[in-house]
Order: sequence, then structure tokens, then C-alpha cells
Amino acid sequence: MGRKHLGEFEELVLLFVAVQAGSAYGISVMEALAEEANRNVNISAVHATLRRLEKKGFVRSDWSEATKERGGRRKRLFSITQEGETALVEIRSIRDRLWGRLPDLGTNLGFV
Amino acid sequence: MSRPPTGPPPWADRFLEWFCHPDLLEEIQGDIHELFTIREAEKGTTAARRYFAWDVIRSFRLSTVKNFDLLISPDMLKMNARIAFRQMLKQKVFTFIKIGGFALGMAACLLISLYIKDELAYDQHYAEGDRLYRMVSYNSIFPEAWAGHVFFPAPMAQALLEDYPEIESAARITPGGLFGGGSNTLRRADQQENFFEEGFLLVDHELLDVLEIPIIQGAPAEALASPLSIVISAKKAAQYFPEEDPIGKSLIINDELDKPYVISGVMRDMPIQSHLAPIDFLVTLTEVEFWQGEQQYWRANNYHTYVRLQEGTDVADLEQKLLGLVDKYYLPSTIAEGVNDPEKEVGEMTFGLQPVGDIYLKSAGIMDLLPHGDIRFVRLLGAIVIFILLLAVINFVNLSTAKSANRAREVGMRKVVGSQRGQLVQQFLTESTLISILALSFAILLAGGFLPYFNQLTDKNLVMPWLAWWFLPGALLGGLLLGIIAGFYPALFLSTFKPIDVLRGHLSRGAKSSSVRNGLVVFQFATSVVLIAGTFVIYQQMNYILNKELGFDKDQVVIIQGANTLGDQVATFKEELQRMPDVQSVSIGDYLPIDGTQRNSNRFGVDNGEQVIGQFWLVDHDYVSTLGMEVIQGRDFSRAMSTDSTGMIINEAMARELGYDNPIGHRLNNGRDWEIIGVVKDFHYMSLKEEILPVCLVLEESPYMISVKAKAGQMDNLLGQLQSTWDRFIPHQSFQYTFLDKEFAGMYKDVFRTRDVFISFAILAIIIACLGLFALSAFLAEQRHKEISTRKVLGASTSGIIGLLTKDYLLLVLIALLIGLPLSWYLMDQWLADFTFSIDLQWTVFAAAGAVAIIIALGTISFQTIKAARLNPADFLRN
Repeated sequence: MGRKHLGEFEELVLLFVAVQAGSAYGISVMEALAEEANRNVNISAVHATLRRLEKKGFVRSDWSEATKERGGRRKRLFSITQEGETALVEIRSIRDRLWGRLPDLGTNLGFV
Repeated sequence: MSRPPTGPPPWADRFLEWFCHPDLLEEIQGDIHELFTIREAEKGTTAARRYFAWDVIRSFRLSTVKNFDLLISPDMLKMNARIAFRQMLKQKVFTFIKIGGFALGMAACLLISLYIKDELAYDQHYAEGDRLYRMVSYNSIFPEAWAGHVFFPAPMAQALLEDYPEIESAARITPGGLFGGGSNTLRRADQQENFFEEGFLLVDHELLDVLEIPIIQGAPAEALASPLSIVISAKKAAQYFPEEDPIGKSLIINDELDKPYVISGVMRDMPIQSHLAPIDFLVTLTEVEFWQGEQQYWRANNYHTYVRLQEGTDVADLEQKLLGLVDKYYLPSTIAEGVNDPEKEVGEMTFGLQPVGDIYLKSAGIMDLLPHGDIRFVRLLGAIVIFILLLAVINFVNLSTAKSANRAREVGMRKVVGSQRGQLVQQFLTESTLISILALSFAILLAGGFLPYFNQLTDKNLVMPWLAWWFLPGALLGGLLLGIIAGFYPALFLSTFKPIDVLRGHLSRGAKSSSVRNGLVVFQFATSVVLIAGTFVIYQQMNYILNKELGFDKDQVVIIQGANTLGDQVATFKEELQRMPDVQSVSIGDYLPIDGTQRNSNRFGVDNGEQVIGQFWLVDHDYVSTLGMEVIQGRDFSRAMSTDSTGMIINEAMARELGYDNPIGHRLNNGRDWEIIGVVKDFHYMSLKEEILPVCLVLEESPYMISVKAKAGQMDNLLGQLQSTWDRFIPHQSFQYTFLDKEFAGMYKDVFRTRDVFISFAILAIIIACLGLFALSAFLAEQRHKEISTRKVLGASTSGIIGLLTKDYLLLVLIALLIGLPLSWYLMDQWLADFTFSIDLQWTVFAAAGAVAIIIALGTISFQTIKAARLNPADFLRN
């Protein structure tokens, strides 16, 4: 149970990992969250989420080359797995179906 | 000057490296360092360093922490627990004593915690509790017992409201027997049957608001607003008006048909934890005037006054401003009466505001005639329970370290095969917490089992809060904590053994810690000595109080209550009683030398121009004889003397106050003129804790109570006769009676309670201390088996060996006496200072306490020393 479940924050992080196509790592996701989703979170929260996603099998990680600004430490680069993509698509299709069934949402909610 | 730091804070980096799982470290550390570089460029070094530290701390999560050997590892814990159990089984007696001592201590702690929690909960239920105060008046011209009191003139509440904007609301009550509070007979207006009810209180309508008394039936705004209205509790409403709406119904109090009280509201049953409880009937003070002009009179003090202050009021400041009341009201009213020296008569009056939440426990020095708890008693109990726990912990420490020799090999071996000290500490702590948790479960059962007895002892209705959310977790936490505290020293001590010494057999068995252990034994016995001496002194003092000459005879007197309903028949009733063969004498009067009967305070002008303050008691001709008081000057009231209607009998205290050698014939005036015709020996009518204050007796009606003195041994017969006579006179009211000696003992309930609780827990503490000493002596004797065997072989006698083994303990006990006896002397001196009439401390008592302590100690160890001295040397010297 829970393996397929994707939390709201997890979904967001997973989307960014997918968007950043192979160059995603802790800081890049954190900055993207701040700039594009207006979510200021601590780096440790991003790390924890990425670890969780990896455990669930939605992302995989590889080590980058060592860089100087990190004191010779390598980055852990994340990329989305097939399973992750399936999960995203599934969530989206559920949402699309539901959105299609909502009557007059634009006038009722959108511009309140 | 040091240069400003550059780079990330090294401590944070080190911390990260220390806790972080190696698989994650590179990623996390890398990211945080990279962030530092970015932020340093954007916001400066200082801010970046702060962020860095914060990031490290935020990264400290369960999922990032590496596997520490010391941190919970289930296998390790299981192994430790298994070893602990084996150890416990191996030494059953010691385990029993460790667990038993702990369990006793914890059970005591549980019970006492419940008690303290209950006491502290009094009057804590008000939503605006921090703004509720009771007015207190201080005046040094009054006798000590009355120097602080809560009785105020009728117009005080109104004056406070008008003159002090800080006071948002004010209300008055008159509790006690005065003017119809306390106990009365009650019946429905439409029924004949009278019931004897207690818990009446005369109150202002505003009191419902000030003390937040919820009205659950009827309109709160109407409740007690109109004259002759009454509010009753939900409990009483159900009793008198089952399945009826009580609102608007009438009640008759004391058969006064011309004054039916209309029920204007039903209040929720008052919490027991209220200083006014138990109260079931609130009678309105609206338009009540006890005599003509009383409501505007500033020179009679009959009302307690409660106030609710505006938010943010400075209480100390307001207390200062209240001094204005003296000049504005008290002095003018005194001058208006034409008193000689009004300023002197008003005295040095000051006012205080006592938080309502403090009334129950912290009213020492404030006379209010209400039942109280005592914060000192609560503290005493708290102290006792801490000592009991300490004793139990000490047992544990002593036994564990004494037993260390048995564990030394184990520790040595473990170290040799690679155990670290931390692991050993962990192991011993597991053992101690396990024992502690086991003891806790016994303690909870014990406490549950003993709760009824404890309730009896403390006069409470406590229940085990099994289901309260805090109870089991709290107890568990306490148990764990105690286990860790108790195991801490033994764990450190045991884990320091050097393998090389141990395995070579160099460690002298358990002797290393003997100074600490001896210190702890001394502490235990000093505590016991204090408790023993305390028990003796408390017992002596209580006996002294109970057998003290009271100045009246409390035995063989039955008091009939609610007699006022006899009305005009009272004289016939009295005559009929007097004719009974078993009756010695009968007196009608509400002023008796026991709590809960009428009291007052009057100011008398003396014929020499002075003023005195005294009680003014209304009695009849047979009062002095019925209560067995002794006339020492002049004479008793006599029916033959018609002038006795203006005659007065005073007590010795009043005679002293007046200062006449022979007060007979002198006159006192309290609005009426009285001539002194006799002096009775001082009799105790307040608690014996307090001094006897002046009393005057005059012939006047006070018809609520009738005292009947039986002839010796005839009480049982008499009760039946009284009952049938009563039923003949008043068939509609049940015969309500009590005994003078019983009520008298009731006055000392708190004193007895202190005694019984103290003695019970003192004995418990001593038992725990003895348990420890018993086990310790068993072990130390066991250690010396070889030595003793050798001595015996070489010709030592049994008694010689007993002496040898006893000597060590004797020294410890003597040191304990040296510390404990002076301490207990000091403490008991403090305690006795609280009583006006107290015994003198005698050294013999302390000598006896010391002797008892020595006997207990030596008795405890004698089991073991004698056993050791009689051993067969062959058994121990063979190998």
C-alpha cells in the first residue's frame, strides 16, 4: 500500500525532476520550487522528498563529476523513471477527467 | 582582534559529518556547501553561515542519521533485557528488595501526587480566575487570631463599586450560622415534611456573576434578583422536585410561614473543589436587612466581599488606594456614634485582596471560619514523598554497587572481548529501568488497592485516573526517569572496572564504593531518625490536645439540631426532657464550644471608659451546668434573680482583658447595659491551635440547638426517648442530632489527619530503609564468610563475631543520629510553633527516638550477622 501514492509536494518535485531532464539535484529543485511554484522550502525537505521518491521507484539517481564549488564533492543527479512517468500521467488523466466534469468553473471559482 | 570568520561554521560541518549516514553525506554536505557559496555571494558571510547552520540542523532527521551502536538497536536491547532478567532471577532476594522498595516508594508517590493534585485544583475553575479576589481586612488592634479577617460591613460592596473604577463587579456573602446561613430545616410550601439541610449561603445576586455560578434552569438575570428568592443546586432540585419544574415553586425555611422563598433558578452542582463547598442553597440578600439601618451601618462586620477587577489592574496599587475607605467611611461612622477616641477605635486598618484561587490553601493568618486545606501540609507530603523515593533509589544504588563484585568478572570479560564502556552503561541502565518499570506496575496495583485506605486517611474521595491521558504515560515516564537516576551511578561505577585487575582477581569485592555507600546508609538512617522523632513528637502533641483540660465537659452531651421549629413549644419540650430520669440537664442555645455553631464579635464599652472586643453569646439558665463549665468568681445565672436578665457571665480571658481584680458588679455596654455577675473558667471554643479570646454570656433566646446532658452511661437509652418525644412534638421533621464530643473531635480532623498521614508514611519510609539495610547486611556478611570462618577456626566466639559485624553499622547509625536528632529537634520546634498550646520538647523523646532507630537498625542486620556468626567454617574453607 502507498507505493503508488504520490503526495502533492512529491508530485511537484517529481515534475521538476522530469522537467530538468537528468540535471536535477537538490539545489536545482529547491530553486525551481521557489521561483516557479512560489514554495520556499529548506534543502533538507527537498532531500527527504527525493529520497522518498527514489525509494518508491519514481526517480533514480547517478553521481555527477566532482565540481570545485562543492569542495570536490559530487552531485547526486536525479532523473525520472518509467514508473514515475506513468504515475504522473495517471494523476494527470484523473485530474483531466474531473476538470472536464466541473460545470462553469471559470465563472464560479476562477475570478472570485 | 580576531578576523571575522570565513567559510561555513566548522562545528556545524563536524556535526553533520558525525550524525549523517555515509551514503547520504556527500550529497547533503555538497548541496549545503554549494548553497553556502551562493548565499555568501548574495547575502554576505554572516547570513550564509547562519543559513548553513540552520540547514545542517534541519537535515538532522531520522532518515539521515547513521546507525549508532548506542542508539536504540532492537537486538542489543533484547540481549540486554535477557541478561537483566537472568541477573534478577539469579538473586531473587535482592531483586525482590530492589523491586519491592521501588514499588512501595512509587505507590506512595502516586497516591500523594493524586492528593496534591486534588488540593491544588481548588478554585481553579473560574474563567476569569486571575481577576477574582476576596477582600481581606488587617488590623493590628484585634487579637492575633482576628488580626486578618474577611468580615466587612454591609455597604462595603456598594462603596467599592462606586469609588473604585478598577473594580468591575462586587458581591457579598454571609456564610456560617449567622443570619440563616449554614444549616436549616427546609420543606416545600405544599408539603408538611421538614428536612434538615446544610449548605445554605446568603448571597448577593451579583455573586452568580462574580463567582461564575452557572444557572441551568431559570433566567440568570432573574436568579436571586427579587427579595425572598432562592437558587438551589441541580441535585436538590431533583430531590425536592422530581420530574417537576422547580422554577417559581416555594420553599419554607425553618417553618417561617410568613417568608416563603421562591425558587428563581437552579444552579449546576457546585464543584467540590471550591472553598465554599458544599453549598446547595443560595438565599438572596436582596432587600435583606437584619436590623433597622443595618445595610448602611459601617460598624458591624458580617459580610465576605468578593470582587472582580478590571483587566490589567495593579493589585498592590489598588490595595493602597483602598486605604481611602477608612477616612471616607469607617472614621466618620465611628465619630457619628460619639465614641471617645475614634481614631484609636478604628485602629490601623489596611486592606488586602486575596486571589480566590489562593483561599483554600493559603489563608493562614486570615480568619474566615471556612474549612481550609493547608499548603504547609501539602508541602510536607511532597517532601515526604521525595524522601521516600530517595530512600528507594538509595537502596537500589547500594545493593547494585555492593553486588558489583559478582558483576566485575562479567564486566571484565565483556571488555576483553570488545565491549565499549557505553555499551556496558547501556546494559546496566537497561537493567535498572527494567526493574523500575516492573516496580511501577506493582506500584500502580498497590496504589489502586490502597486508595480506599488512603482516602480514609486523608478524608478525600480520590479515584485512580486510569483513563486520563496523562496518567499512564506520565507514570511510565516517571518510572523510566527513576530507573535511569537509580541506575546511573551503579552503571558508571560498574563500567569502570579494568579488565586486567578484575581478571587477575585484584578487585576487592565491592569495597571500592564503600564510602559512597556508607554515606547513603547514613542519609537513610538520618532520615529515618527524623521521621521517628517526628512521629513521637506529633503523637505526644496530639495526645496533649485531646486530653487537655478544655474548661467544659464534652462527654455525654447530645445536641438536637433544627429545634427552632418547635417555636413556642420549646419551653414545654425542655421541661419534658428535664423530667426524664436519664437526663441531667438541658440547655437551649446555639453558641457552643464547637465549630459550626454561632460566633460573633462585639465591641463593649467598659465602665472605666475603655473598650474591649469579645464574643457575645446568647444562652439560657442551664448552659453553664449542661456544658460542665466552672464558675470561679461570682455565680451562675439563677431563675430566682429577675435582675439576671441584664446580668452577664464572662470568661477569664475577658476578666483579664478588663483588668479588674474582681470584675463582679462592673458593667459592660454593647448598646445595652450588662452587669457582670460571674466569671467562668476559660474554655476552649476555637481550635486549640489558637488562644482563648474573651466571651460574654447573657440570657437570651437562640433556639436552633438544644444540648442535653445525659447521666453517666445512659446515652443509648436516652436517644430513643429523645427521638420519641421529638416525634410527638414535631411529627413532620426528622430527629436530627449529633454529639458534642464527636463534633469536638471533628474540629481536630486536620490535626489528626496530619498525624495519621505523617505516621503512615514515616513507617513506610522506615520500612524501605530497613529493606535496604537488610539486603546490604546480608550481602556484606556473605562477603566476609571466609574471614569469619577463619576467625572461628582460630577460636573466635559467636558473640565476638556478631560484635565485629555489628560494629561497622553501629558507627554509621551513630553518625546518622548525630545528624538526624538535631535536625528533627529543629523541625519539630518549627511545627509546634504553630500551636498556641503545645508540649515542650523533651530530650527524652529524642533519646527514645534514637534508641528506637538503633534497635531497628541492629534488629534488621541481626538476622544476617547471627546467621553469619553461626556458619560452619568447614563449608567455606574447603576450597
